[in-house]
Amino acid sequence: MDPAIVELLDHYEGPFSSVLRENAIAAKETGLPICQDTGFLEFFVFQGNEVALEEPIIETLNSAVKKVYNDKPYRYSIVSDPLKRVNTRDNTPVVCHLFPVRGDRLEIRFLVKGGGSENLSRLFMLNPTATVDDLVRTVVESLKESAARGCPPLKVGIGIGGSSDKAMVLAKLALTRSFDERHHDKDYAALEERILGEINDRLSGSGNGYNRLLGAHRDLSLAHRHNAGGTRNGLLYRKKGESNP
Amino acid sequence: MKIEELRAGDELLYSGELLLMRDAAQKRLKMLLEEGEELPVSLDGAIIFYAGPAKPTKDSFGAIGPTTSNRMDAFLEMLYLKGVLATVGKGKRGQQAVSLCKEYGRAYFLAPSGAAAALAGRISSMTVVAFDDLGTEAIFRVRVKDFPLYVAIDYLGNDVFIKNRG
Repeated sequence: MDPAIVELLDHYEGPFSSVLRENAIAAKETGLPICQDTGFLEFFVFQGNEVALEEPIIETLNSAVKKVYNDKPYRYSIVSDPLKRVNTRDNTPVVCHLFPVRGDRLEIRFLVKGGGSENLSRLFMLNPTATVDDLVRTVVESLKESAARGCPPLKVGIGIGGSSDKAMVLAKLALTRSFDERHHDKDYAALEERILGEINDRLSGSGNGYNRLLGAHRDLSLAHRHNAGGTRNGLLYRKKGESNP
Repeated sequence: MKIEELRAGDELLYSGELLLMRDAAQKRLKMLLEEGEELPVSLDGAIIFYAGPAKPTKDSFGAIGPTTSNRMDAFLEMLYLKGVLATVGKGKRGQQAVSLCKEYGRAYFLAPSGAAAALAGRISSMTVVAFDDLGTEAIFRVRVKDFPLYVAIDYLGNDVFIKNRG
């Protein structure tokens, strides 16, 4: 378990504190998942141009998920067709985002994303003239509306820039960072701290039922993408010898 | 369970029966009622737990925990009209649900989210009662012992998520 989560759990004294601590031990001893929603599997694959694979990576990932979900006591949450909604009974297909990069390395990040958090996703198209204050306000207002429907502690991923779909992928990618990891660019790290502070202030004001109930800590990861004049830089997880994801 | 004795913010350990059903099952119940059909299960006096269990193991009925209740606000009045006493789920509900709790004198409980392995240990029996084809979204009858609940909306319409909001 993420050490940041262990620390939160050890110090949490709100409702359900004893059963939550009991759960961490029970999950370890029984092999049952810590949450029943072992949801959507989303993969972020950074594949170097020197890496050759025997089969398309998505086939490998689907086979792996099928095997793990058949072998383990995880819930099958995926349906084959959005309208017919027939459960595939092996939790596939996975969602796979492929990022072609330079080099001989294959990096795979993934999220096990429950539906309860997924359906709180939001996309906002801000004006090009929007200020940082506008951005922060948009994030905070969105969380005021949705946070109390999710499970504490909240982890917030934010993607900025690019096209609408790119921004959503960046937001997901931000969630693959550990709880206390800050952005490598100090300006963006400072923005993360600011947004985190405002979220915690606005959602945890004294006397607020939400705070009393959940006593929660939120974390936030921010991925950004400049999109001025077609240039792209400052991306998350840029590594030497690779192009930008 | 005496709903009138419970107030928003109370914590309790519940032992007894719960009916598990979530989105797909409630949508089907609504369709059956609209077609004038009988429901496959009596809801009179039931406590509904918005949950879909994971797979069972040889030692356990499977990881279990609440899903987001707000999504199912639209079915709440149907449940109350059929005699449901209370619902159990996760998170804040809409104003419509708060009003219905007050109007019908019913309660809404939170169950702990992120406690699925521990909650599995509080279940002593589980049987499918309807809609088996829905898999995890079927209707299950479970017996629980010392199941932790927190009163989020009481029968007077007090809601912990909006109470005392400054």
